[in-house]
Amino acid sequence: MIDISVKKVLSIDLEKQEAEVKSFSDLNKYFGGTGLGLKLLEIYKDKNPLVFSVGPLNGFFPYASKTSIVLEKDSVVEDIYMGGSLSTRMKFSGIDSIVLSGVSQEEIILDIQNSIVNFKNKDTDPQSLGLPGKRSGIYFEEDKLLCDQYFTTPEYYLETIFKEKNIKGITITGTEIFSPANFDDYKKLYTEILDRKPDMRVDQAEYPSCSGCPMGCSKSKVGEIGGNVLLNSLVACQFADKIYTDIGVVFSCLNTLGYEYTHEDIENLPELIEETIRNIYK
Amino acid sequence: MAKILKPTQINRCNGCEMCIFEAQRQLKKVGLEDSLIRVFRKKNPETQAPEFELEIDPRINILDVEKIASICPKKVFEIQEEIKND
Repeated sequence: MIDISVKKVLSIDLEKQEAEVKSFSDLNKYFGGTGLGLKLLEIYKDKNPLVFSVGPLNGFFPYASKTSIVLEKDSVVEDIYMGGSLSTRMKFSGIDSIVLSGVSQEEIILDIQNSIVNFKNKDTDPQSLGLPGKRSGIYFEEDKLLCDQYFTTPEYYLETIFKEKNIKGITITGTEIFSPANFDDYKKLYTEILDRKPDMRVDQAEYPSCSGCPMGCSKSKVGEIGGNVLLNSLVACQFADKIYTDIGVVFSCLNTLGYEYTHEDIENLPELIEETIRNIYK
Repeated sequence: MAKILKPTQINRCNGCEMCIFEAQRQLKKVGLEDSLIRVFRKKNPETQAPEFELEIDPRINILDVEKIASICPKKVFEIQEEIKND
């Protein structure tokens, strides 16, 4: 069962080929996504981290479908967002963030199943890893990294870091479940948000869709860079900003799932993120 | 007669997995484990375009299949009446 009372971080040391899950209750105030990712970038700063994070709404509500990726490139912090099924697989792994530290001595593939990490030889067939239907994969196709063989990120930050760290690809499989205490309230709110399709700033189209989003829009393929900190900490899609920058809606979603956040926590988030960024650049 | 969920327009599927999550919600859970619908991703060998396959457990018919069909944004499913041979 997914535990939402703490932030669970899968810390992977590429050099030692070791992994451990750490629980941080004191990081709850960073919510998730970019907020949590930046704080972890600060905590692991000396280890040259690459941080993947999901937010509290990923996997639970529609249009909250992106994965946040935070990294430091040439002494500049970058936050980029990837669509596809990665966010739901991370959520259903019970993991809020994956921190990849250091550099692998040889080119490897990471096979992550919930919180278990297997370090695989670079020649391993990605199709042999994970559980079909419950996995998501990030692998190179020519010079771009693609999630689910389609979704990618803007620029080449992620590709450069993968190459520097000797990571050839990652497969993530999530098999954990969650059951909100008041399931009827959850279903009602889910339906209300799903019905807000007209508030999306993209048109429904014929392209592959991110997991948990019905839009199949033309914008999902390349992901996003930068943007609204609340949205990016929930890791909704930037085109769902009319829905997920409404603090009342966000609070209802969090409350229905059982998160113990207050309005004040949501309002304090931008300042916390600013402080974290200042600390990273110190 | 029992109603059956049939993916008759699988070529339209966009892989959003809304059907999976609806089925799971009807079972009062969020996640992929023990889902009665599974979506598999593959690539068209000729065009290299992403394609999807659906695997539906026959037990899906214990659920509200009309609700599952209606949540699909691409109208992949049809509800058919089960024909029993005497």
